[in-house]
Amino acid sequence: MSQRKIIHADCDSFYASVEMRDDPSLKGKPIAVGGSPTGRGVVATCSYEARRFGVHSAMPMAEALRRCPDLIVVRTDMAKYRAVSKDVHEIFSDYTDLIEPLSLDEAFLDVSGVEQCGGSATLMAEEIRTRVRDNLGITISAGIAPNKFLAKVASDWRKPDGQFTVTPDDVQGFVRELPVTKLFGVGSVTAGKMARSGLNTCADLEALGAAELSLRFGKFGVRLWDLCRGVDNRPVRPDRVRKSVSVERTYAEDKPGLASCLDQLPSLFEELSQRVAKANCGGRIKALTVKMRFAGFETTTVTRQGSGLSQKLFGELMEEAWARGERPVRLLGLGVSVNTDDVARQLVLFDELVP
Amino acid sequence: MKFSASRDALLRPFMLATGVVERRQTLPVLSNLLVVAEEGCLTITGTDLEVELSVRVSGVDVSQQGQATLPARKLADIWRSLPDESEVSVAIEGDRATVRSGRSRFTLATLPPADFPRLEGDSADIKLALSAEDTGRLIDQVSFSMAQQDVRFFLNGMLLELTDAHTRAVATDGHRLAICTLPVAAQWVGDAAGPNHVIVPRKAVSELARLTGDASDAVELEISKNHLRATVGEYSLTTRLLDGKFPEYERVVPKNTTAVIEADRATLKNAFQRASILSNEKYRGVRLMLAGDQLTIQANNPEQEEAEEVLEVSYGGEELEIGFNVSYLQDVLNAIDTEAVRINLSDAASSALIEGTGDDDAIYVVMPMRL
Repeated sequence: MSQRKIIHADCDSFYASVEMRDDPSLKGKPIAVGGSPTGRGVVATCSYEARRFGVHSAMPMAEALRRCPDLIVVRTDMAKYRAVSKDVHEIFSDYTDLIEPLSLDEAFLDVSGVEQCGGSATLMAEEIRTRVRDNLGITISAGIAPNKFLAKVASDWRKPDGQFTVTPDDVQGFVRELPVTKLFGVGSVTAGKMARSGLNTCADLEALGAAELSLRFGKFGVRLWDLCRGVDNRPVRPDRVRKSVSVERTYAEDKPGLASCLDQLPSLFEELSQRVAKANCGGRIKALTVKMRFAGFETTTVTRQGSGLSQKLFGELMEEAWARGERPVRLLGLGVSVNTDDVARQLVLFDELVP
Repeated sequence: MKFSASRDALLRPFMLATGVVERRQTLPVLSNLLVVAEEGCLTITGTDLEVELSVRVSGVDVSQQGQATLPARKLADIWRSLPDESEVSVAIEGDRATVRSGRSRFTLATLPPADFPRLEGDSADIKLALSAEDTGRLIDQVSFSMAQQDVRFFLNGMLLELTDAHTRAVATDGHRLAICTLPVAAQWVGDAAGPNHVIVPRKAVSELARLTGDASDAVELEISKNHLRATVGEYSLTTRLLDGKFPEYERVVPKNTTAVIEADRATLKNAFQRASILSNEKYRGVRLMLAGDQLTIQANNPEQEEAEEVLEVSYGGEELEIGFNVSYLQDVLNAIDTEAVRINLSDAASSALIEGTGDDDAIYVVMPMRL
């Protein structure tokens, strides 16, 4: 494969930036976009000013207000963010069709072979960032690298409102110093395990060698071997296909026992069934998952292979999840993962069967 | 209960009855076969609570009448492994069954026959006699289009439509549709108020196909509101019917197609087969390009490998480019048994109607893909 040029574009505190753009009085103030602090709302995004107080996304709004009493809470307005996201996407599409959106505020662009800006991905990223700032009034950061993994890491390097390029020659040096926590798939559990064995940077992983990595980390070890050397051949996939469908609910009052969790099952199941039908992926289900967050925030998930939506099976998984904590429950979720072979582009015979 | 019989006389009954038994069970007794021994005959039944298959075998030496349930898969495996033409005896003592043949002896655990659940068929509203050949044809022509484990559960089966003029089988998974119509009339029992549309679940369709596979006996169908029973010689298959509204399939059969391809079926089938090798393994998309009397089939995969097939066909229509899931086309060309086929098209976003030239039993509708 010839050398690829990938840009990872990531809007800076997207929801908060959009809100500040529309209400300039918010500028320079600590703001958080998210749910109501009186219920169980959490922070979706917060401004950099709020981050200085230790506020971060996914934090309960009530906790955020404790840390930053002057925090201005703005309710989320998804329709508005979707519209801005579409505008950002249009700017991207002036450069390439190979755009893989990861969420409303983040996307990979494959600009290999694009001739604009003299073929320089770094200059393209600069131009994109200028246009987004001038035309849309928000800032966006970018990472430029030969693959998705490095581009994503690089976009975080000069955030906010900055960009960073990892040239093919820089890859070795850049990746060696990288902490293992930057690797996709290394969460707190794996990172802890690695730290206990003295594995802190990618260089440490590389020194272990491919065989030892596989032995210690199973299938994931193969992937680690690639990542720790800066290798990532995943293509940029336009039209990302859905890999999972889920529904979760945070309860205003904790569910005290298993029975009260099981009481929620029918309505959760009903909503999941509707979403699965809407995503038209009922025939491609490969596993079912129950997620349970206990009071105190520990979260557990139980997954089982299965090809159909079964309320009974979800009930069994819920019992299993409950047995792991046996404490009051604040959040319940049901989900399915689906085979990703695409049916989206296959046209359908009966429109009425696609809800 | 005590009986003896030749291994060969009971092999197929045991195998077929075991065929409906699910591997993973909620009720232990569902892993077992119910065996009832009466004067000179044996009735063997397997069930999964949706589909029940029962077979009555005569000419069995029953020395002690009675009934028992025996572990289906183990019994079938033992039976299959015994030498051809051997004599086998089965005796129940207490909660154990002993199977003896020559110098082999097997002791199996049994469960009480009273626990064995039976499907309660209600009395039939419609009766229909079909030859084994017709039954096989209805199933072969359409069953590949049934959905599998679709949330729209009524697609996971085959629609049987019965009138006083024809018997029709229809299957669709939402992307493609198959319809086979035979001029066989159904008979209503009493007043003709019974249902004339029933959806037979997928599993029962494949079991019925197995029963009629090499049978010469006629198939007697008895249909009631919730059940269908098919009797083929000594075998009796009872199934619950799928409850749900089958889509209005006639509405999606294209009427005013503007472009018609006629081609040799085998040539076309082989060309699709070769092109499919380099189609995307997930999407299975192929591009059909029509110009003059030439059909070009193109496929490519994510590795940018490409296949191209050029065929001479008879084509009447404008230049056209249309994409399909090649598996859907291959399935149709496998089901059709005439020498030539006709593919009727309109445009790249409208369905194709495919039929065997000179065959008016079956038609197929396939929706295109946007490539």
